[in-house]
Amino acid sequence: MKKRALSFMMAGVLAAASLTGCSGGGGTAGTTAAQNQAGGAAESKEGTKGETVIKVWTNDRHDSEYVDQKISEFNETNDKGIKIEMTVVTDDYANMLSMAYSSGTAPDIAGISAGQSGFDLKTFADAKILEPLNDRITDADYEKVTEASKLQYEGIDMIDGNVYWIPTGMRSGVRMEYNKALVEAAGVTEFPDTLDGVIDLAKKVTENGGGKNYGVAFTSSVPFIRWIEGTCETSGIYRYDYKNGEFNFDGYKPVIEKSNQFFKDNSVLPGSVSQGVDAMRAQFAEGAFALWGNASQEAGVFTDQFPVTKFDWGVSTVPTLDGEVKGALTIQPQKGYMMLSSSKNKDAAWEVIKFFSSEDFLKGYLEGGYCLPISGYMSNAIDSSKTGRLADFKLQDYESVYPAVPAVAIQGDDYIATLWNAILGNVSADDAIKDLNKRYNEALDNDVSMGKIKRLIIKDFDPMHPNAGTIEYLDK
Amino acid sequence: MKEKLSFAERLKRAGSRGDFASVLMLLPAVFLLAVISIYPFCWLFRYIFYDYNGFTAYYIGFKNFTRMFQDAIFWRSVLHTFEYAVMKLVIIIPLSLLLAVLLNQKIKGSGIFRGIYFMPTVISSAVYSLIFGFIFAVYNGVLNAYLQKLGMIHSPIDWLGSASIVMISIIIVAVWGGFGNYMILFMSGLSSISEEIYESCKMDGANGVQSFFYITLPMLSPVLKVILMLAITTALKDYESILVLTNGGPNSRSEVMFTYIYKLIFGSQTTPQIGYATVLSIMAALIIGVITAVYMYLARKLDDVV
Repeated sequence: MKKRALSFMMAGVLAAASLTGCSGGGGTAGTTAAQNQAGGAAESKEGTKGETVIKVWTNDRHDSEYVDQKISEFNETNDKGIKIEMTVVTDDYANMLSMAYSSGTAPDIAGISAGQSGFDLKTFADAKILEPLNDRITDADYEKVTEASKLQYEGIDMIDGNVYWIPTGMRSGVRMEYNKALVEAAGVTEFPDTLDGVIDLAKKVTENGGGKNYGVAFTSSVPFIRWIEGTCETSGIYRYDYKNGEFNFDGYKPVIEKSNQFFKDNSVLPGSVSQGVDAMRAQFAEGAFALWGNASQEAGVFTDQFPVTKFDWGVSTVPTLDGEVKGALTIQPQKGYMMLSSSKNKDAAWEVIKFFSSEDFLKGYLEGGYCLPISGYMSNAIDSSKTGRLADFKLQDYESVYPAVPAVAIQGDDYIATLWNAILGNVSADDAIKDLNKRYNEALDNDVSMGKIKRLIIKDFDPMHPNAGTIEYLDK
Repeated sequence: MKEKLSFAERLKRAGSRGDFASVLMLLPAVFLLAVISIYPFCWLFRYIFYDYNGFTAYYIGFKNFTRMFQDAIFWRSVLHTFEYAVMKLVIIIPLSLLLAVLLNQKIKGSGIFRGIYFMPTVISSAVYSLIFGFIFAVYNGVLNAYLQKLGMIHSPIDWLGSASIVMISIIIVAVWGGFGNYMILFMSGLSSISEEIYESCKMDGANGVQSFFYITLPMLSPVLKVILMLAITTALKDYESILVLTNGGPNSRSEVMFTYIYKLIFGSQTTPQIGYATVLSIMAALIIGVITAVYMYLARKLDDVV
């Protein structure tokens, strides 16, 4: 009898424990970190001293020290009773945000870094997750510092005239970073401006290296877009034909075939194509190879993360096919802040966005070398001598923002992986191009016919000024 | 003839047998299974006829199914899954059984070896895969350096970047990460075999090999059956370390079912294709279910024969 009573008791305890665990409504306590992880606008609430807590998410980690310090200052000194709670979400940022929104735990503000942080803005805007900021960005102080009226890019920070964020900084277009000692030892005094020249240079460095130093290295992490796509863009080759509103990969053939020469010449650091980007940065800093391609974030990487101390390193513009620039090089607007439509404190959230976009905040941020300024006002306001090697990545007159290419749901590998496969020689250039043209245009036609997206057409598209044309959206 | 009991009597009898306590004890587990496994699985079926990007679902009829049957990359990933699972099982089961039998002997230091062999099991697969990334590195990689020093190779091998070798590399990692777990399971099975049987076997003049094949293996068969089933389902579902090591590359050579499905939903280069990934998930679950059922059937048949 006792035994039975005991088993009943245990079963009861187990059931109660599991139900309590699942209910999740229990405790009021919880660590700050835990609250930060799960915290959302739905929970935006009065803080301990009657403060309005504004939750902010970001996927930028490299600037945490500066940002945290400024947030502490803001939290202590602002007279509006606002408290900022910042959470860094580095993995699957866009998915995490959409899941948080669905479950009612989205933050009030979501930061945007380079590459739009993986967001397909149209999807988020169509789902009414984001709050248009058109009426707010006309604020005189905000406009003065950010020049918001000039920084509206269709598909990037604006959809159908609704502006969802304004960049306060940018990442430069891609550049070639090179080991000056190895390049000079190869007898090259001026960095080549053609792809053939770079291929020859890589070959010479490898021959000089005697199995110890190599010409160039790539990585397993989206290698095509590290710099070869920059070569395509500046050679006037782009994946989307804006004039006709369709994908067209035909122009990539010469770049694929020439880039394959790096591998035929054995100029590539062995195994680099299966290594992560940081592993290759570390090898560059050690002097294992001469040529590396990436954008302005490398200024900080080779100064702080993997400091280059054994040799001088230079920065050059990416080579083109024939040495002539025929198209704009993509820059990436970043450090913007989107307001979530679920925010219960939109006015306070806007005050926080204004704080992140203020001259005081941005001056220290940009002089800290975390990114390049995008507004003329901030370019003039900062002391560029304090930005370190970031000064080497200064904007070229042919750098610009391309209107966002329609985000289509393709079948199979994306163009980045497919073109890289062709460069590796796993498929022929012709087959890769044919396959991409078919899959991307089928997906575009399908998604347009379903009403998921619209066909983007810019009849007066100018590859040197891609953002200057007249944008049209078609339903078919 | 069975006596017909009233409801009250049946209730009383169930109470005295302890049925209520059993049901109560089962409830939490059943509840959690329903909420965490069964409900989400049923939820999947909502989207099989939709193109769903996480926010908006567009009805597309049977398009996800027709696409699946034409999707060469998916079916190639199914073949890669089989290749990976078979190669992993062929190595990991005999290896862990052999080590279990060796460590089951009363030899000095077996406890230490047991601990060492089990250690990979308690390390996160993402962490040890990252470490193996450095071990396999072509340039300055530890493995290549040792092989070159031993004179076994002349130039470094691209363990993770070569389509002809990558499968072997990820299987090495999978075996390293998993054999300790199966070894412990085998050891628990071995501990249930009575010492007296081995002693009488010895008195009859059987040597170590004979006692392994005629005593250990047959008496271990119920445990072996369960371990094999666990190993098969685990091998077919493995994808974490592959994502870290190769992300399915090079040229999709190490793409298995679940890396492909994962990338359809969480891949950053395309919009999430949750509807299509759902159909593939169901197909993957079906494939694993059928293989497990066939294995169970064969195992039962073998039992009858033996």
